[in-house]
Amino acid sequence: MFLIFALITLSGALAMFRQKNLVVAGLCLVLSFIGVSGLFLMLSNPVAAALQIIVYSGAIVVLVLFVIMLLNAHEEEPAVKPRSIQRWGSALVVAVLGVGAFKLVGSSPALRPANVRPVIEPMTLEQVGNYLVQQHLLAFEAIGLLLLASMVAAILLVKRDL
Amino acid sequence: MTPANSFWTEVLQGGLSGYILLALLIFVIGLATVLLRRSLLMQFMGVELMINAANLALLAFARFKNGDVQATTFYLFIIAVAACEAAVGLALIVGLYRHRQTTDSDRADALRQ
Repeated sequence: MFLIFALITLSGALAMFRQKNLVVAGLCLVLSFIGVSGLFLMLSNPVAAALQIIVYSGAIVVLVLFVIMLLNAHEEEPAVKPRSIQRWGSALVVAVLGVGAFKLVGSSPALRPANVRPVIEPMTLEQVGNYLVQQHLLAFEAIGLLLLASMVAAILLVKRDL
Repeated sequence: MTPANSFWTEVLQGGLSGYILLALLIFVIGLATVLLRRSLLMQFMGVELMINAANLALLAFARFKNGDVQATTFYLFIIAVAACEAAVGLALIVGLYRHRQTTDSDRADALRQ
């Protein structure tokens, strides 16, 4: 099951990277997010899986797709100049980072296979809610304020005659 | 069993290192999208992918290291901030398109017209 969800996630991400059409790329991103939420289920965390589906594949990707259609930017515009140095440099940076981090993951003592498997009991919304309101009430209020502020900011930014 | 062999069985069976490796791969794909694609909307999607990779690593560590409730609460905060970022970022892209008629990051390299 882990392998299936991992393959779904990776193929969605790779298809998004390779895709020329931006709308199709957004749909590939939805596929990748659904794979990630399946992985959260494998981690016996259904709360995070539901949040992932609702917020990411529900809200954020729909917002991105709306903007793509609003701006009529279905295709990437042709390049002004090739900028081959930057492109190869970026590819090199990505490759070096990937290989280096891969080596680190392979040699890290913290990731050694555990002798005892942890007890798996699924996360419940009740636990999260209790912990959130008892321990992080101030942060919870602050995040509400932040959401309001960003909503107002987004409306102001797209206002025509500011 | 040799150490390398046990590492790969752990990865394929969905142990902690498998999740971390997968998160790493997703992060690298997201970074490549941000660096190599020119459309601002594609770069935005790459950023979302990188945030997702970080979330996956966080929750995997939480499950395997017994810190579950805190991590899920933290994940809640992360996606709230990601939603704010999505709203403001897309508004900025729309604002840029109004001024320049482009969503190409190469064409938007000067502060004034």
